[in-house]
Amino acid sequence: MPKHILLIDDEAPIREILVQTLKTKGYRISEAASAAEAESLVQRDPPDLVISDLQLEESDGLTMLAQFKAARPALPVILLTGVLFDREVVRDTLSKLVTSYLPKTTPLAKILEEVHRVLPP
Amino acid sequence: MNNQIVLRLTALLAIIAAICIAVAVVAIRNLGRAVAASDWVNHTHAVILALGEMRAAFHASDAALWTLAVAASPENEAGCREALASLQEQLAVAKALTRREPAPAAQINRLEALADARAGLTRDVLAAHRAGNSDRVRSLLAAATATGLPGEVRRLTEKLKLEQMELLATRDSEAYLQAQTTRWTVWSGVVLNLVLLGLAAWLVRDDIAARRRAAAVLQEANEQLEAKVRERTAELTRGNAQLAAEILERKWGAQALEHQLRYNELIINSITDLVLVLTKALNISRINPAVAHLTGFDSARIVNRPLPEFVRITAVPRHLQSSADPLGQVLKEGRDLHDVAALLSDRQGREIPVRLTLFPLRDGNKVVGGVAILRTDSTAA
Repeated sequence: MPKHILLIDDEAPIREILVQTLKTKGYRISEAASAAEAESLVQRDPPDLVISDLQLEESDGLTMLAQFKAARPALPVILLTGVLFDREVVRDTLSKLVTSYLPKTTPLAKILEEVHRVLPP
Repeated sequence: MNNQIVLRLTALLAIIAAICIAVAVVAIRNLGRAVAASDWVNHTHAVILALGEMRAAFHASDAALWTLAVAASPENEAGCREALASLQEQLAVAKALTRREPAPAAQINRLEALADARAGLTRDVLAAHRAGNSDRVRSLLAAATATGLPGEVRRLTEKLKLEQMELLATRDSEAYLQAQTTRWTVWSGVVLNLVLLGLAAWLVRDDIAARRRAAAVLQEANEQLEAKVRERTAELTRGNAQLAAEILERKWGAQALEHQLRYNELIINSITDLVLVLTKALNISRINPAVAHLTGFDSARIVNRPLPEFVRITAVPRHLQSSADPLGQVLKEGRDLHDVAALLSDRQGREIPVRLTLFPLRDGNKVVGGVAILRTDSTAA
C-alpha cells in the first residue's frame, strides 16, 4: 500500500511538479489548493504526511496546520514556503507545528530526501 | 544449404539416376536376348526332334515297303502310303523349322530329295505289285538296297543333329555369359549407387552439422545482441528517468525562483515608503510604486537617471560636508546613512520634504549598489 501524502499549495504549477516528482517515487498524492479543501481531504482520506505552503489564498497555513496537529499530533508535516525564516524562528516557533521546514528554493532532490527521511517508504 | 553442397548433391543424384537408367537398359536388353536365346533353344530342340521323327518316318516307310514286298495286301499298301505320307509330313515340318537357316535347309533339301526317291521307288513297287510283276518288284528292291538310301538318311540326320547340338551348346554358353553379364551389371549398379547414396548422405550430414554449428553461432550472437539490447534499454530507461528528473528539477527551480521573485517584489511594492534601488554610480535602477505615486513620474522617467536629480540632502551630516557628492561618498565608503532631511522633486517641480535613509548593497565584501528609502517628513510641514 503506497504512503499517502497530502500536498497543499495555492499555486497549481507548484503542485503539478511536486505531484509528478512524488508519484515517480511511488507515493499516493492528494492535492488541495486551499485550507478548506485540505481539511475536507484530511477527514475523508487521512494522509501519512502533509506538505504545505504557508500562505494560502483564504487562510494562514500555520493556523490550518495547528488544527491538523491538534487532531493528529503525530502527523508529520513539511512546511514548503517562499517565506524565509531565520533558524531561530524555525527552531523556537515552527518546530512545534511542523516536522520540517524547507524554503521553496530547495532543489527537488533535497525535498525528496526530506520526504524520505520524514516518511520512510 | 549452400550452393556448393546443392551442386554436389545434384551431380551425385544425376549420376545415380544415369546409373539406374543404364542398368535398366542393359538388363532389359539382356532380358530380350535371353528371351530370344530361349526361343532359339526351343526352336533347335524342335529341329532335333523333327529330325528324329523324320528319321523314324524313313525307317517306317522302309519297313512298310519291305513288308509289302514280302506280303502284298491292301492293308500293307495302305501302310506303305501312310508311311510315305508321314515321311512327307515330317519333311515339311523340318523344312518349315529350318527355312531361315541356309545350311540346315540345304541338308533338309537333300533329305527331301532322298525321300522323293524313296516315294518314287514305293510307287514303282506298288505298280509292279499290282501288275503282278514279281521280277520287277525284286529288281526294284535290289536297286534300292544298292543305293544305300537308309544309311544316307541316317548319316545326314545324325550330322544335322550333331550340328544343332553343337549350336545348342554354343548358345547355351552365350546365354550363360549374358546372364552373368546381367548379374554383374545389376550388382555393380546397385553397389555403385549405394556408394553414391552413401556419399550423398555424408554430404547432407556434413551440411546439417554445418547448419547446426551456424545456428548455434547465430543463437549465441542473438543472445548477445538481446543482452546488449536489454542493457542498452536499461541504460536508456535510467537515462530517461534521470533526464525527466532533471527536467522536473529545472522546472521546479524556475518555478520556485519565479515564486520567490514575485514574493519579494510583492513585499517591496507593498511598502508605502519610497524605495529606490541605485547603481554604484547613484543612477536609479528600480523604484517601487510609492515613488511614482508621490512624485507623479512614471518609472521610465526616473529609471537610469541620477538620484541627485530628484533628491537633494538639506542637512548634510558633518562628516560628509567636505564632500562635493555626499551620497556618492556614502556608497563609496560602504556606510549607511540614516534618516537625513532631504527634498524630493515631483513632476510639478515642487520639492517635498522627506527623510532619507541610504544603505549600500553588498555582495560579499563588495559594494555593488545601494537602496534609498524615503519617508515623507511630516514634521517639516
